[in-house]
Amino acid sequence: MNYEPRIVAFLCTWCSYTGADTAGIARIKSPANIRAIRVPCSGRVSPELVMRTFDQGADGVLVLGCHIGECHYDTGNHRAAKRLPILHSLMQFAGLEPERFHLDWVSASEGERFSRIATEFTEAVRALGPVSWRAAPGGWQAVAKSLQPTEEEVPMPAVDCAGKTDAIRAKAKELLTSGEVGCVIGYEVGPRNQTRPTFVYSVEEVDRLVWNPEVSNNLVSYLPVKLKPKGKEPPGKVAVVVKPCDSRAVNVLLAENQFARDQVHVIGVTCEGVCDGGGNLQVRCQTCSERTPFVYDTLIGEPPAAVHTGPTARADWLESLPPHERMEFWLSQFDRCIRCYACRQACPMCNCPECLYERDDSTFIGLGIGLNEKRTFHLGRAYHLAGRCVGCNECERACPMNIPIGLLNQKLAEEIEAAFGHRAGLAVVPSPIVTVLSGEYKDG
Amino acid sequence: MSESNTDKKHWLISQAELETWLDSIANARKLIAPRQVSGIMLYRPVAKSDEIAWHEQAPGSAHAGLPVLSVKEIFFPSTERLFTIQKTGQEILLEETFPDWETIVFGVRPCDARGVKLLDAVFLDTNPIDSFYARRRGNTTLIGLACKELGPTCFCNSVGGAPDDAHNMDIMLYETDGGYLAEAVTEKGRFLIPSGEWKETTTSPQHSTSIGQFPIPGKGKWPEHFNDEYWMKISERCISCRACAYVCPTCRCFAVRDEMLAPGEFERIRCWDACAGENYRRVAGGHKPRAEKGERLRNRFYCKFYYYPEQYGLGNTSACTGCGRCIDVCPAGVDITEVLMNLEKPV
Repeated sequence: MNYEPRIVAFLCTWCSYTGADTAGIARIKSPANIRAIRVPCSGRVSPELVMRTFDQGADGVLVLGCHIGECHYDTGNHRAAKRLPILHSLMQFAGLEPERFHLDWVSASEGERFSRIATEFTEAVRALGPVSWRAAPGGWQAVAKSLQPTEEEVPMPAVDCAGKTDAIRAKAKELLTSGEVGCVIGYEVGPRNQTRPTFVYSVEEVDRLVWNPEVSNNLVSYLPVKLKPKGKEPPGKVAVVVKPCDSRAVNVLLAENQFARDQVHVIGVTCEGVCDGGGNLQVRCQTCSERTPFVYDTLIGEPPAAVHTGPTARADWLESLPPHERMEFWLSQFDRCIRCYACRQACPMCNCPECLYERDDSTFIGLGIGLNEKRTFHLGRAYHLAGRCVGCNECERACPMNIPIGLLNQKLAEEIEAAFGHRAGLAVVPSPIVTVLSGEYKDG
Repeated sequence: MSESNTDKKHWLISQAELETWLDSIANARKLIAPRQVSGIMLYRPVAKSDEIAWHEQAPGSAHAGLPVLSVKEIFFPSTERLFTIQKTGQEILLEETFPDWETIVFGVRPCDARGVKLLDAVFLDTNPIDSFYARRRGNTTLIGLACKELGPTCFCNSVGGAPDDAHNMDIMLYETDGGYLAEAVTEKGRFLIPSGEWKETTTSPQHSTSIGQFPIPGKGKWPEHFNDEYWMKISERCISCRACAYVCPTCRCFAVRDEMLAPGEFERIRCWDACAGENYRRVAGGHKPRAEKGERLRNRFYCKFYYYPEQYGLGNTSACTGCGRCIDVCPAGVDITEVLMNLEKPV
């Protein structure tokens, strides 16, 4: 049987859809494989929509909008131009063949251009054969294939824990005594020797606060709820202990107006890296060169000289695989996911009042804990963190199922940096793909 | 799962004999056992005994030999299709899907088997019987493996279990020097044992008598603490994920929804849900009965130690098996034993 690819094309009503009409009126041949969906603007084509289209079995997705500078809404197609290539690289990283997704510009008069793009795209997809994106139902019974190489172990460097602990306690005591803050969020050591978040409200409790090589949690994730409690008065100023990566989260949340700068007292602590359960540096710290927090009111510790330029074996190895093996890798990883949302809940950037992927009326994802839903959730979450993820990698640490979620975020952080020169949270600047940058209005 | 009252039979077997037996089971039936999957241990189907993770310590896991998820997922999978709905014209066709295969689970730890027993009270012993659970339960044989000692976060002996508790198993294996002592606990288990090939023995296992160190507040203690400020305080670090509930051998809440498979074709699925989630039990109009995370975390403990014994009439038997998984997985360091110990202390 001849294989006919099913191609969904999202066409901007102002130009590309009319362009397709123009092609028809001029009797220019276009492939019949295209299922056109008329949208008000290419900026309306959300990444969730594209992913959903592939989830539903499309062999290829084509998005056509007005040429840059000709958008009916001024900057709608700028959004498409910024977001969709990021989505494209994410889906490639997850194992989609790059040829299956294409973004281009067609104006109302360019019937011939529409026909050419549609034909070229259809032929490219036809050459690839049927898509294998939608995973066959296997559920928990599918035995996940282990493909992931293990990272090299880097021993944890020595840290002046006692000095930092004393300085944190002294500062907390000062802030609480003076009444400047009502609460200090820091770390304590629990009854099983586990280092964990703690909330100190009085001077008597200050001695619970510690600093040690296991201060892993990103305490910034508690700030939005703490500072904006539902149906209650905000508690006044809150102090929070941050590592350099955590401090970037403070900046991103400030840029997104989640709280005001004068609501927090940031106790920044210099960082040599954080260790995993076995006394080695956590994977995230092996490639991290940030030693001093980017935002602080109080700085504790001397900036250490040591910069880790450890291996990025996992990412390099994954990038080297052909698409179908990358897809197999990710499916075998997502297969273990139980949708417990520990990754999302541990993330300071995941602070939507209601997650898109948990809404009862969500049309982007089902309720089931199935392979497709799990992949949609993880890729969607990674996309929502593009340009916002600060690389604290708490999602990966929180995951009870050992899924290397951080790789997705790392990949998109690299893409964003390459495309926009933006690294989340180095300053109070929002992600370039959730905003229309100033200056974009200038033309036209 | 009636337990035979006749004297239990015992056999002494070597590791090789055990592996041969498991191989023969795997040839004919579905064998599920702990195995290493990308750095963690999970109950997964195995085709040969050499795929089994024998006592391996999974990295990041505090327990030797205890998979991250309990055997719960075999009887009560994370997502299960209940039936399909097909609509053609005015006709609507409902078709049930029943799981039908015979399954042998090897390497079940006593805490997990106890968890199954506690789930039985909910799904099997209380009307209406859950036919999906019942079918899976009836088709499954549990081969237990006694723990030699408690793991760092284990406290089964504080909640009425024991590391070598053979109750709730069909066959129990105790490690001995150079082999195993096998015990047929139920008729179903005895039927599975190749009695002709194994050497019978009169030795019976020495059971551990250690008593746990954590005093568990009895059912009667709980009502008076319901409004304690304590719950709001201990829940501050909770991040409201569902990891604790999903790894728990006895957390059993589920959500049901119809989902579209194709135009005119739907399925009704049920999947795990947990009271830790903010939207749990949200009603039309948007009211959330437990909007505060303190209320949600409190519910987890009340469900285990008060509602469960109250509802299923088991005296002080709580719905906690002491496996310690919730302590292991909590990203924020919430510790159930600490919560229980401090319940009666003033804040």
